[in-house]
Amino acid sequence: MTRAFLRMLPAYLLAGLTLIALSHALPRFMPGDFVTAMCSGSHVVLNGEEDAELRRRYAHEEGCFQYLARLCRLDWGYSQAFMTPVSRLILDALPWTLLLMGTAHLISTALGFAAGVEAAWRRGQAAQKISVEVMTILEGVPEIATGVLLLLVFALKLGWSPAAGAETAYAQHGTWQRVLDVANHLVLPLSTLVVAYLPGNFLLARWSMLLVLKAPFMETARAKGLPPLRVRYAHGACNALLPLVTRLGLRIAFMVTGAVVVETIHSYPGLGTLLFNAIARRDIPLVQGIVLFSSITFLAVNMGLELFYGWLDPRLKHAS
Amino acid sequence: MHRDSWRELKQDQWFIAGSATALLCLFLVVAGPWFASHDPNDISFSPLSAPSTEHWLGVNDGAMDILAELLHGMRKTAGFGLLSGSAGLGLGIFIGLAAACFGGMAERFLMGLGEILLAILAVMILILAAMFFRPAPVVLAFLLAFLSWPTTAKAIRAQALLRKESLHVRPARQMGASSAYILLRHLLPELYLLYLMGFAGKVRSAVLMEASLAFLGLLDPNRKSLGIIIKYALKYYYLDVRFNWLLPPIACLTLLVMSLTCLVISLEKLFDPRLREWWW
Amino acid sequence: MKVEGLSVGFREGGQVLVALDRVNLELEGGRVVGLVGESGSGKTTLGKSLMGLLAPNALVEGSIRLDERELVGLDETSLNALRWSRVAMVSQAGGGTLNPVHRVVDQVAEPLVQHRRLRAGEARNEALAALGEMGLSAAHGDLFPHQLSGGQVQRVLLAMATILDPAVLVLDEPTAALDVMSKGLMAEVVRNLRDRGKAILLITHDLDLARSLADQVLILYLGQIMETMPALDLLVRPCHPYTLALGRSYPGMGTLRDLGGIRGETHGRRLDLKQWQARAGGIVPPHQPPIRERAVETGRIEFEEGCLFRHRCTQSIDECGRRAVSLVSAGRHQVRCVLGGIAELLRLEKVEKRYGRIHALASTDLALRAGELFCLLGETGSGKTTLAMIAAGVVTMDRGTRFFAGRNMDAWSKEDYRSLAREIGVVYQNPAEAVSHRLKVFDIVAEPLRVQHRRRDSAEVRTRVMEVLSDVRLSTGPEILDRYPHELNMGAVQRVYIARALVTGPRFVVADEPTSALDPGVQAKVIKTLLDLQIEKGLTLLFVTHDVGLARKIADRVGVMLAGRVVEMGSAAEVMQRPRHPYTRLLMEGARHSPGFHRRTHETKRLSAERGGCVFADRCGWATDGCTLESPPLLNVNTSDHWVSCFRMDGLKSSDHVWKPETDEEFSRRSKNKSAGCSL
Repeated sequence: MTRAFLRMLPAYLLAGLTLIALSHALPRFMPGDFVTAMCSGSHVVLNGEEDAELRRRYAHEEGCFQYLARLCRLDWGYSQAFMTPVSRLILDALPWTLLLMGTAHLISTALGFAAGVEAAWRRGQAAQKISVEVMTILEGVPEIATGVLLLLVFALKLGWSPAAGAETAYAQHGTWQRVLDVANHLVLPLSTLVVAYLPGNFLLARWSMLLVLKAPFMETARAKGLPPLRVRYAHGACNALLPLVTRLGLRIAFMVTGAVVVETIHSYPGLGTLLFNAIARRDIPLVQGIVLFSSITFLAVNMGLELFYGWLDPRLKHAS
Repeated sequence: MHRDSWRELKQDQWFIAGSATALLCLFLVVAGPWFASHDPNDISFSPLSAPSTEHWLGVNDGAMDILAELLHGMRKTAGFGLLSGSAGLGLGIFIGLAAACFGGMAERFLMGLGEILLAILAVMILILAAMFFRPAPVVLAFLLAFLSWPTTAKAIRAQALLRKESLHVRPARQMGASSAYILLRHLLPELYLLYLMGFAGKVRSAVLMEASLAFLGLLDPNRKSLGIIIKYALKYYYLDVRFNWLLPPIACLTLLVMSLTCLVISLEKLFDPRLREWWW
Repeated sequence: MKVEGLSVGFREGGQVLVALDRVNLELEGGRVVGLVGESGSGKTTLGKSLMGLLAPNALVEGSIRLDERELVGLDETSLNALRWSRVAMVSQAGGGTLNPVHRVVDQVAEPLVQHRRLRAGEARNEALAALGEMGLSAAHGDLFPHQLSGGQVQRVLLAMATILDPAVLVLDEPTAALDVMSKGLMAEVVRNLRDRGKAILLITHDLDLARSLADQVLILYLGQIMETMPALDLLVRPCHPYTLALGRSYPGMGTLRDLGGIRGETHGRRLDLKQWQARAGGIVPPHQPPIRERAVETGRIEFEEGCLFRHRCTQSIDECGRRAVSLVSAGRHQVRCVLGGIAELLRLEKVEKRYGRIHALASTDLALRAGELFCLLGETGSGKTTLAMIAAGVVTMDRGTRFFAGRNMDAWSKEDYRSLAREIGVVYQNPAEAVSHRLKVFDIVAEPLRVQHRRRDSAEVRTRVMEVLSDVRLSTGPEILDRYPHELNMGAVQRVYIARALVTGPRFVVADEPTSALDPGVQAKVIKTLLDLQIEKGLTLLFVTHDVGLARKIADRVGVMLAGRVVEMGSAAEVMQRPRHPYTRLLMEGARHSPGFHRRTHETKRLSAERGGCVFADRCGWATDGCTLESPPLLNVNTSDHWVSCFRMDGLKSSDHVWKPETDEEFSRRSKNKSAGCSL
């Protein structure tokens, strides 16, 4: 257990509770009659029976703890727009988002790290300078722009990849064909996200590696007569990893928003598209469910990373 | 130090590029509506017509002039960013310095609150708020500011604590200067680079946030903003109108974000001398 | 390992920052070579170049040979094979040199895995054994570097450096961050390593450490070796002015004098790329990337010709700037100096002086080195003032020769004497009497200038007077300038007379009891000013005093006088801490007011150098008959700079009483008489 983790634990717990309390309380603060307010802007037309059911549900004063218990039972409400339980919708969409975002983060972090380390190692060289310039410019391009451009060029102009969906609908594929099909659909949104995340990772990895290169222990490593690759990675890169992991944690904050834009542009059936549609249809329970789910995930992931830091840098574990 | 950093900034290509683009954006934002020969809400033109001398960027599906829409949209988006950025920065500076100066329980409370806010996804709160209450964008901007102060406050507090022990602040304290004096006279001006950095960063994320929220359809669809223009244009991306309808707002947004990114990078470089020395 | 003509420069644009300039060095098994110098002198660069670890912009010339194998220009792979297995280092940064994310035992074991291809388990066991030898347990090995103390880290580093049993060890400031206890332990470890036959290069700024550990010491300044010497001579017998200045800046336990520092600052030494190449014979080593020529700013090149230290040196002459000097052997030392090392500024040979029937000064020799502060100690009437005034040229001598800056002064012409007067300043014991009462401060200070230049009043004189007054920390306003000395307080008056002595810009100043009339508080301030001026201007000072405590704080060397003879002379630390002459010991104990010490001077008759035999024999508890017959010669003690004139010094133990003990009766009688004076 790192001290930092223990120090942060109360903050995380409080944040989680705040979120749940907020999610519990917000509907009650809505102006006017809740059900009317909730449904007035939506595209949902309730029949009398449903209306009565909803009213009964919300009129019943539910305490915060009961609400919490309900959340734990995966009973996150019922989406009027999709006529499906919220949990079902989220759990259906989740794998796609995980696939997309997971791969994107994996690739951009690994690639950015390796490229950053190498760029730092080759500081002063022309190619390295150009790569830094390009990456800095790319860092300034929002996902929305990359996504649209890639879509226009590769899907519409060149027709290389499908413009929408996560797999070809109603196709009867064998396992391998299906994998290929999924991968084919994944390429565009994935490259959008990689282009969006890579520059930041690259610049950060390069910067922290530059700092590490100046450290005396790097000279010790060279003096020991170790081969360059070992000097660079076993001694250097190890120390440059921490800021990148921190960044990964922060990046997950943008996971859902990032996913919303990219998934919507490429019509990828993940959580983002679900959120987009839910908002479009003003499906409050679903939005609420997604928001709560992703916030709690964010909290959990960051808590996990906090534990990971101690393993990455022993100084943090013992720091007083 | 002030003059030095300014001289150094003037030689930094990222800063030059960033500030030039930012000035261009600012010019468009301030003077844009005068260029637009049409009212953005005027729906008296023929829908989806191609660019012409009358309508430089054509007309959208709602029969509105796209150029006028764009210029107004930029104003809205940039305005949201600036408002939220300055509010967040002010809050961050105030809380950061207050925490550093008062110490004790106040500091612990403020920083704890900061940690909690950092652990909460700001965007999710905004989505919830927008969903339930459909507030005016100004309210959302302030809400975002309230959620985004901790990063600045943390950085400023850390630096202020460092400076508090530094060469000229300690002697001032020894001379019997009050906390308020030290705060206003030494710490506040000392950290100006940090403010600039925090401001640019906050405006950048607020601009992106506004675009995202608008894109999600959480903001009033009649309110022109880059996100909303992109959202509607995207419906027709397979048509030829993409070149005059979809790409311009994307280019504008990219321009805005890129200028701010360049500024943040150059300021970061200046603030961390290690970064400066090793940049190439 | 043999280093020959090694020059290292770092390219910065079109210029080359010279870090090492034609350094020769030989490391042999079982010997420790100490490398001493200020930061920026190139010590660490030398250590790194032995391992081929210089930054990519380094230009290397010359040769580094290890077992007849040339290291300069060797490619990285071959270097890697040699690194750590043949040459290992402990570098400067202490804990920073260990990777924070790996356990220490793994880091110690790493070279075994890489060079000896051991399996991880074996390597770990061997590493633990090596750590064990350094007194660290297996539990320590499993810790991370930040969990170890500074001393433990240093031991880990040493264990790591010796794990492959290299022939050559480079220790870069191994004790810089350690406390005294850990330092001692570390020194012990280094001695063991030397005894095991390792060749060790010890880089340090800790002079005491270098003195106690090394066999030979190299003094490095701006990349040039200024002096090489046997380690024991360090601090005691410097031959180069820089070595002297270093010793004066070092707060060792052996130094008594207040820290002096070295005047001026070092500047990085830069050469044009072309100049560098020309010096190196136009050869760029093959492993260096090709050099792109750039426009070179001229005029920023410093120190190309001449001695590098001349701007800070206390004895530099015009010639120092004109020609480059090489290392020249001087006894067991090698010195790089135009003047052949610390020069003798003043030399008196067999000087004698009589006042009527009184033989005030028996045949006496005295040599003053440039830049030092020599203190003449002794009781009233011992002839110290006479000697000092002869040195200053104020008093003529009856017999003997005087040399100033290497020239016999008797052969000097009138013109020479005028310039001599400019070179020598005198602060008199009772200055008020040496100066007309009717002169105002300005005129007092300006008088020597007017005499020298035969000029009345001029702007030049005025500026010079102002300058020198602010040098002695006096105000230059009318409230000082237009006053008469008797209107000022004592401290200010003394400062005025110091200013008067310094106004011509002398190299040599004789100060005869300049502060004996002052309160301790004022005296301290005046002395401080004087010492600061000595460092700033590089003055050589001959200081006459009877105050042992004062001499202890200010002197580099002291001479103890008694009855017209120098009875003991040497470096202040030696003489004060290990006095050999019974009289000196008496003097020291008197100054300390040791219990049981009773002055008996009043009981002895006035001594004169005229009589044969030791001048102290009458009072000496150790005197034998021989002592009264023949006067003992001034002989060198040990090898260090310490001269004593005593027949019995070898038989004297430090616990022995050097004076004739008084019986109790004698004491009580004397106490009743209350005749015991307080002056020595």
